[in-house]
Amino acid sequence: MKIRKELWFGFILMAAIVIPTFVFLPAPWNMTSGQLGLLMLSLVVVAIMLGFPTAFTLMGMGVLFAFLAYRFQAPAPEAARQTLMLMVQRAYAVMTNDVLISIPLFVFMGYLVERAALIQKLFQSLHLAIGRIPGSLAVATLVTCAVFATATGIIGAVVTLMGLLAFPAMLRSRYDIRLSAGVITAGGCLGILIPPSVLLILYGATASVSVVQLYAGAFFPGLMLAGLYIGYVMIRAMLNPSLAPKPPPEEAEVKLPDWALRLRGGPRRLAIPALLDALRSGNTGIPRGRLLGQLGLASLPVSMVVVPLAVLFQVATTVEVVDTGGLTEIGVEVAAEPGGGGLAEPPGSALSEPPQEGVQEPPGAEKAAPAAEAPVVPVAAKDAAATPPSAGLASTRIPAPRWFWGLVALGAAILILNYVLFTVERFEIFKMLLGSFFPLSALILSVLGSIIFGWATPTEAAAMGAAGGMVLAAAYRRLTFQVVKESVFLTAKTTAMVCWLFVGSSIFAAAFALLGGQEIIEKWVLGLNMTPVQFMLLAQFIIFILGWPLEWTEIIVIFMPIFLPLLSHFNVDPLFFGLLVALNLQTAFLSPPVAMAAFYLKGVAPPHVSLNQIFAGMMPFMAIQLLALFLLYVFPDIGLWLPRVLYGG
Amino acid sequence: MQKLLLRIDRASTWVGQAVSWLIVLLTFLMTWEIFSRRFFDAPHAWVFDAQLQLYGTLFMMAGAYTLAKSGHVRGDVLYGFFSPRVQAGIDLTLYVFFFVPGVVALTYAGTIYAADAWRIREMSSVMVDGPPVYTFKTVIPVAGALILVQGLAEIARCVICLRDGAWPSRTEDVVEVDVDKLKRMVDVKDEDIQALDRFVVEQERDDGKGPRP
Repeated sequence: MKIRKELWFGFILMAAIVIPTFVFLPAPWNMTSGQLGLLMLSLVVVAIMLGFPTAFTLMGMGVLFAFLAYRFQAPAPEAARQTLMLMVQRAYAVMTNDVLISIPLFVFMGYLVERAALIQKLFQSLHLAIGRIPGSLAVATLVTCAVFATATGIIGAVVTLMGLLAFPAMLRSRYDIRLSAGVITAGGCLGILIPPSVLLILYGATASVSVVQLYAGAFFPGLMLAGLYIGYVMIRAMLNPSLAPKPPPEEAEVKLPDWALRLRGGPRRLAIPALLDALRSGNTGIPRGRLLGQLGLASLPVSMVVVPLAVLFQVATTVEVVDTGGLTEIGVEVAAEPGGGGLAEPPGSALSEPPQEGVQEPPGAEKAAPAAEAPVVPVAAKDAAATPPSAGLASTRIPAPRWFWGLVALGAAILILNYVLFTVERFEIFKMLLGSFFPLSALILSVLGSIIFGWATPTEAAAMGAAGGMVLAAAYRRLTFQVVKESVFLTAKTTAMVCWLFVGSSIFAAAFALLGGQEIIEKWVLGLNMTPVQFMLLAQFIIFILGWPLEWTEIIVIFMPIFLPLLSHFNVDPLFFGLLVALNLQTAFLSPPVAMAAFYLKGVAPPHVSLNQIFAGMMPFMAIQLLALFLLYVFPDIGLWLPRVLYGG
Repeated sequence: MQKLLLRIDRASTWVGQAVSWLIVLLTFLMTWEIFSRRFFDAPHAWVFDAQLQLYGTLFMMAGAYTLAKSGHVRGDVLYGFFSPRVQAGIDLTLYVFFFVPGVVALTYAGTIYAADAWRIREMSSVMVDGPPVYTFKTVIPVAGALILVQGLAEIARCVICLRDGAWPSRTEDVVEVDVDKLKRMVDVKDEDIQALDRFVVEQERDDGKGPRP
């Protein structure tokens, strides 16, 4: 009975495509070539929905219809020759595509990171770290998903793992089943939007938009979506605490190591005074080396605030250089400059080194930041926050904007607050984060940062990311031959899947263009006399609908080539369109019946959790995705600000 | 028959797994080149061609392997709900109508294309005296032939399935989401999941009593 219903859904969709085709198109023998193109398009959707491997559907259709298209102008042997040439040239173009080459590298990085088995530590430490806020388990789940999904990009694995870790934790704390399921499925899909994502590479290759700009552009919309999810969960938890009750106290307890218990004052003591005290008195029986080491670790938050601010300072004050000379020079510029003014000096000298390290060697970058310099800078920064922004700055640099000093003040405030609350327990949590959250974030941010700031091309950054993935796996003692072998084989399969699909679709797109199907669609769309807003709404609506039966790969490679030529008629920036599409396709993952996230979760959920409950849980998050889409559309600067600041135009 | 099919599977798998190691080579080559260029100021012009050739060979030659493991993405709106016989019928039809013409054309065109390149011993034109390209172009017909053979094996599978009403077996391989392996990785047992059911049932019973918040 149930199966019937789902089959009906598919058949109705198919009929919705086939019937208009037959009604509106003339009989095949007196079709024009453009109409043949439309026939091809509707046939391909039907064939894909039937479930044949899409790459070969596209390839076969493309060959047959390309031959027909050439046949309109030339005799059969000539048409056959042209078809074969077209095919092999398209295939070769994909084989030498220097954008798609990043795909195997990022995929490889993802599999390695996934197998480093960080997720358990990541989830536990995040949960402990934010134990006090409403809906803490759900929020920790979302953050874990965002970080882990971004680093790995493998939705199935992330949802399954979170279904094994977070779902039980939430159920034990008596969280609402629907809310828990929605959080896991929606969170697991974030990786497809937040760069480095394969979707954006594929879009960039299809639309000839620079992947660098796409990454820069998708960064804030991705964070915004994650932020909206978190906000939604917290608000619901506050309004109705029974949806997300506080976890039982034993789950929120931090286990202190032996030496920490021996510190005088016991638990709930501030970490730094306790350590200093122990160091001075020397009678706690804890080795000095260990105490010093712990003190070093405890001072890490300082450099964590200072290093990003430093990078920002460089970027913000060297805008002129960025515009004229290109981005690779930044590091050199700052290092070579003698430092003209009292204020510019400390940040400049303290910072010319960390950024380079932070970028090139992912994990442990923070550790490398010299602790000795750390105390100096906040003082200078605080002074700076108090004095008028532009006073005493080097004249060769443009003064840092007001928002930068605002950030400095914020950073200082966070640091002070942090150390006021820095108990021995918090210190333990911090160390747990240091072993899970920070290495992953450092890997992602260094890959992204080096791309966005122009230190490396996306391909180079992908290669460094893959190498970083290996280092990460090695650091967690997971880099066995077995793990590498599995990652290598999976990478080959995923790459072959995506790239063969691209071969198929580029042959298909060529045939479609040859037949002139594109012109018919263009004429038709222009004939509707739409305003740009109406066009955008229509385009996004079509993509949203396509997301129900189809997967994102198919939508990007088949339908983007049809939309893209229309953009220039309506003065739509392909970059902006790409961001909207990437956000829109998030819904494709949560829309039944193809919502694979739901099936992965169902696969590891207790038997009484039904698919319907999971679907119901996903719906609010789909609504949030639409809200995010709306926000991005109304405030395009969410996405376009960063690319504009970095690359101008 | 089944033996022959599995042998073809194994051949595709062997080739695919052999070339998949190129990703490690690619990673190291590019990492080395980045360091060499940025820190030792010694760029190598041939690396650009080499990395593309590694990538192109990797995905083309892995195509048959992916097909042997059913790894090519398919639309799953209806397919999963069909009985095996209907699935096999659809697959068989579409293999004959789309797959065979497409792949045969690709292989044939690739042969001509590669033969032309061999005749003139074509070199890369990205830079002066670039590396040879004719060997790289040979990948197209070879990969096409491999995937064609694998496709014929799949067609035979469809026929067997139409006859028997069940899909013949495939060789095992590492899969992207291996639930059992993931369970071991995070140390969750089936009993633990079973035990959780209590909470689900409780919540559903409570929901039945009062209005939903």
